[in-house]
Amino acid sequence: MTTKAISLPQSQPREHEQEDETREHLLLDPRPRSELNRMVMESMLTTTPVFKIVLGILGLLAAVCLFGAWIYMGLTGIGVAGVRRPSYWGMFIATFVFWIGISHAGTFVSAILRVFKAEFRRPLTRAAELMTTFGLAAGAMYPLIHLGRVWVGYWILPYPNNRWLWPNFRSPLVWDMIAITTYLLGSTMYVLLPLIPDAAMARDRSTGWRYWFFRILALGWRGAEGEWQRLRTAIQIFAFAIIPVMFSVHTIVSWDFAVSKTPGWHSTIFGPFFVAGAIFSGVSAVGMILFMIRISMKNMDYFIRPEHFDAIGKLMLIFSFTWAYFYFNEYLLAWYGGDLSDQYVWQALTKGDFAWLWYLMLICNVVVPWLTLWSKRVRRTPWMLFGIGFIINIGMYTERYLIVPGMITRNRFPFMWDSYAMRIEPVIAVGSLCLFLFLYGLLSRFIPLIPIWEVHEGQVATMLRRIGKAKVPTISELD
Amino acid sequence: MEEPEGNGKWGMVVDMDRCTGCGACITACSMENNIPFVGEKDAAYGRSMQWIRVERNWKDEFPDIVTDFTPLMCQQCGAAPCESVCPVFASVHSESEQINLQVYNRCIGTRYCGNNCPYVVRQFNWFDYAKDMPEPLNYQFNPDVTVRRRGVMEKCTFCLQRIRRVEEDAKAQGRPVKDGEVLPACGQACPSNAIVFGLLTDPESQVSHESRNARALQLLLEELGTQPRVVYLKALRSPGSLPVK
Amino acid sequence: MPEANVHLAVFNNVDPASEAIVKLRELGIQEDEMQILSGLPYTSEMLGRARVWSMIPKFSIAGFLGGFVISLLLNLGSVWQYPLHVGGLPLYPIPTTIVVTFEISMLGLLLFTFLGVIWECGFPSYGKKIYSKEISDGYIGLEFNCPADLHTQVHEALSALGAEWIHRTEAVDL
Repeated sequence: MTTKAISLPQSQPREHEQEDETREHLLLDPRPRSELNRMVMESMLTTTPVFKIVLGILGLLAAVCLFGAWIYMGLTGIGVAGVRRPSYWGMFIATFVFWIGISHAGTFVSAILRVFKAEFRRPLTRAAELMTTFGLAAGAMYPLIHLGRVWVGYWILPYPNNRWLWPNFRSPLVWDMIAITTYLLGSTMYVLLPLIPDAAMARDRSTGWRYWFFRILALGWRGAEGEWQRLRTAIQIFAFAIIPVMFSVHTIVSWDFAVSKTPGWHSTIFGPFFVAGAIFSGVSAVGMILFMIRISMKNMDYFIRPEHFDAIGKLMLIFSFTWAYFYFNEYLLAWYGGDLSDQYVWQALTKGDFAWLWYLMLICNVVVPWLTLWSKRVRRTPWMLFGIGFIINIGMYTERYLIVPGMITRNRFPFMWDSYAMRIEPVIAVGSLCLFLFLYGLLSRFIPLIPIWEVHEGQVATMLRRIGKAKVPTISELD
Repeated sequence: MEEPEGNGKWGMVVDMDRCTGCGACITACSMENNIPFVGEKDAAYGRSMQWIRVERNWKDEFPDIVTDFTPLMCQQCGAAPCESVCPVFASVHSESEQINLQVYNRCIGTRYCGNNCPYVVRQFNWFDYAKDMPEPLNYQFNPDVTVRRRGVMEKCTFCLQRIRRVEEDAKAQGRPVKDGEVLPACGQACPSNAIVFGLLTDPESQVSHESRNARALQLLLEELGTQPRVVYLKALRSPGSLPVK
Repeated sequence: MPEANVHLAVFNNVDPASEAIVKLRELGIQEDEMQILSGLPYTSEMLGRARVWSMIPKFSIAGFLGGFVISLLLNLGSVWQYPLHVGGLPLYPIPTTIVVTFEISMLGLLLFTFLGVIWECGFPSYGKKIYSKEISDGYIGLEFNCPADLHTQVHEALSALGAEWIHRTEAVDL
């Protein structure tokens, strides 16, 4: 019996293709450090007229819509807002929860991903941390905005006074105040620490007032061994320590609602539910911000690549599952055997006045991500991820709106059931969004948004290694 | 700082059988406690500020409609959910009178107490309603009670100003407070005497008597553990409208 | 030390830089007279040097304990001084104390870690220092103090390793 010779097709030389593919990755596409520095400095120094006009409009809107409307409300009375008995809290508090939720993105990207040594975080950490800082700044104004007597709002701070009065540490609002202060200070310090070496680089490449600005910010950094080692120790400690702070902040915000006796709010799952929702909306917002950075700043398409959007998109999908899991939990328990007062609350949400918002929320948070984020092509397309992130944030805002003014309209006395209508609240909410974007846009031209030393470190640590016939990326641990 | 020794636990009994829903209690309370008029628009928006409300619930169909009236004011809970959530101690528990106090000067207007009250009896000054009272309408204000400005929560105080006045008079005369000497505005105005007020700690007082009434009595939302000080006597003609549990 | 004796040699890679350290050690220059300046964090093991002593974890713990004490004072001390009964809750409730204590202790930890770095590195330290702008461009600087008689030997040895030599450095404003 003869065996027939089967000729196999010639195996193509694959090395070139592999090289091209891997060069798509930022860490496998190294450039000289001086080139990286130049690119980042150029992105800071280049502003188009369109950018200046947009920034100006944002600043104007922030001044008028946020501060102008707030001062008007402060002088006239909270009555210009839509709140009334029984919905004493309304859109202000929903927006507050939304902003605190957005602020969790930064810590997630820069702390949790750093702890897990996820390499794709390298170019994103500062952009995300700035989101945390400005999100907290925007959110922290809301407990002041919605106060009836904001001019004596400082009474919530603990300070010795001749009235022998301290704040009530048994109240969740005081916990809010302490937690948000801790998180704001902590994340500001966490932005400043890795910024010092980059400020030193910018100092070396600037002239005029920018030189003085970076010189002050760099604190005299030289890059000595001792300086680096201490900085890295501190950053490690920060990364580990700020994670429990992040979890505790949104849990404490959720306890504003959960410790109350309001039906629908008094739920033990609010803590983890709010944290999951916060990370969900935060990561989506990071995707949006990365797209905006890419299109508005020069050279950013070198640093922020489809692989980063891919990773963010996967996180968005995972947290969409997590959020849906917690939300279904809430719904199932009330539907199955909840108290009558709980059931009335959920009926109002699903069938009553708020039903259209309920379906909008489900479509935005569940249907859209679950249908689109499976596809790698969708995840790697920046503008698609921006759109999906925008839709998710609308859905998450709607979820907070349903919880805060939605659920408290159905209390235990049907005689006192009422609804909620918005008055001046959207104006102030838009103002706070404009303030966030204005501060972010302004600061993008003052400090380097990419942590260059971390990207350079990643590029040094990553290389191609041959295993068999393939060249695989290999990452060394440099600490 | 030592609290002055009070007389004990003040309480109220509301007889839902006698209540005719006339609303005299609401009017009297508004006059006694300087409750502002919010105007037609704000009242339509649900911002009227009466400290006592008469819940009116219809049952059955015409022509056999039965109406249940439940006068509802602050229940002065022993374990008040509104007190623990105020960040600045504007809502505290009075040791001497065992009622829930609202300190207008201290309130910064977070409105958490309003959300946390299960009876929905707290009101908020959305605007400076009393500021634009044209003369001589401002002469109607009761000088014993503060006129609140915007941004401050308020609620029924069991007419604390009347309790204090009677207590001080009795102390000056060296005698204990007599039963029936203190009557809040709502009790004073009720034409059918549906509201009885007095010291629950005095077993001989009329309010203690009524609270031991054989007619099925209830504390509203007792299962929430708020320990209210107001006892409701159920109406015989119908079970009375119960809050949603 | 007279400024004339302080030199800065700049290398473009960490391998010749670590070799240079060995060479300088052989020529008799002490460990604490040399220092590496770089735009990337290189560990002491990579450079062949001893680990730098740092007290930052102790700062962090001190901050945590400080925050812990302050939170107990605020939480329990303020109520002990001026007791006010609210909502049927006990005056010194443990669950709420845990929440407040955790937050303020973490604030202390983070704040003191940050201050610890600033303190230990001697920041802010503006003024004249040995530096070169190429260091933030990815080059590695080796700053050392060598006596005048070793000058030529050192120069030879380091140039053989590929150093870009910067003579008798003028201190730059940092």
